[in-house]
Amino acid sequence: MAKRAITINVNGTEHPLQVDAPDRLIDVLRDQLNLKSVKEGCSTGDCGICAVLVDGKLVNSCLMLAAQCDGRRVTTLEGLLGDPTMKRMQGSFIANNAAQCGFCTPAMLMASWDIARHSPEPSDEEIKVAISGILCRCTGYYQIIDSVREGCERGER
Amino acid sequence: MSTLELYSPTDLSDALRFMEHDGRNVAIIASGTDLLPRMRRKQISPSVLLDISSLTEDLRYIRQLDGTIRLGALTTVADLLESPLFHGKLSVIREAAMLFGAPQVRNVATVGGNICSAASSEDMIPVFMALDASLKLVSAREERTVPLKDFVVGKRETVMKPSEMLAEVNFSPPGGHSWTAYEKLGRRNMLILAIVNEALSVTLEDDLRTIRSARVALNRVSGKIPAVAVKTSDFLRGKRVTGQTVAQAQKVLASELSLTSDFRGSGEYRTEVAQVFLKRLIERCTRQIGGPS
Repeated sequence: MAKRAITINVNGTEHPLQVDAPDRLIDVLRDQLNLKSVKEGCSTGDCGICAVLVDGKLVNSCLMLAAQCDGRRVTTLEGLLGDPTMKRMQGSFIANNAAQCGFCTPAMLMASWDIARHSPEPSDEEIKVAISGILCRCTGYYQIIDSVREGCERGER
Repeated sequence: MSTLELYSPTDLSDALRFMEHDGRNVAIIASGTDLLPRMRRKQISPSVLLDISSLTEDLRYIRQLDGTIRLGALTTVADLLESPLFHGKLSVIREAAMLFGAPQVRNVATVGGNICSAASSEDMIPVFMALDASLKLVSAREERTVPLKDFVVGKRETVMKPSEMLAEVNFSPPGGHSWTAYEKLGRRNMLILAIVNEALSVTLEDDLRTIRSARVALNRVSGKIPAVAVKTSDFLRGKRVTGQTVAQAQKVLASELSLTSDFRGSGEYRTEVAQVFLKRLIERCTRQIGGPS
């Protein structure tokens, strides 16, 4: 089976890639580009810990073929490490002990960053909706909700 | 070593030509949120994926023209949430979209994909069925319209031919004193497939007490087939909205449903929930219209 040549802009850099038909976005991000913040959990869209942004929209990278991302813009947590909102959100997660095992943390941060961008002062209900697609296996949701609220609030000042 | 092939058509007619001529086991992939997990679980093993996700120019639109609302099959669930059309009388579409999966799924999952999945738990099917939606099916040779209520004939089985693709969902919003509402029961509030989901569209007479027309649709009516509960809908027509009417309609619905059990719930439980939902839906709709509560 011939590989397909595609180009994906990942974290601001154009990456020419060779992919097989069944390769998913997560496979390319982890195995070809070594972006290990993107975790693989259920592989079926139930746990959301593979969440990344594609053209600015939060998606599960296990549910998208790499070939479908040809010519598109993908952002992972690694690409946002220098971003002020993300820095603030990370600080808030640390201050509120929002990471226990840490497995869901990168995806939670991506969803939190996404809501901070759209809603500077989200209600708890909005935060719950924003992270509803991400499973925290330690069930430490309250610390996460507190972190997102504070991470967003500080952005206001 | 994978033998799976991927074909990315340049436009809709290219995709339809491909479906007409490729004799292999072709599966259409839009967002992939339903297809990829099924492939991973080996529930299906297509030899070719026809990736229509880039055909947004042809298939991703929400239009209102001459009183008809037309949704391209690639309209995402998030598109429904962002559209200004689905407020007021059509806010049911927003409600159903909010109960659909989670943000990561809503951002890519398509209305057409959800309908074609036909897995008896789809959020979009009862809602659009209650709105009496039609589907535009296209192939390289022809185009035909099928009422959504007749589209699904079994679990994961539809009337679509192998050469056909769903291109559009369209419906005329109910006029007059009408409202449409949706209820869904899952094992948790979000990111969950429905054990029971049910939608009701009702129009009252000018007296705001008598039902002019009603359409009740459920994810399962007989076995695992989503359909309009015809007997219940017919029963409601011409009745005054009273507690007695509701109680009688619940009995009619229970006798009309023949539901099977699976790991999500028993048929008995589903029938019970469907009756409770019917009462809630009638009450919600009539309250919104301004009739008796």
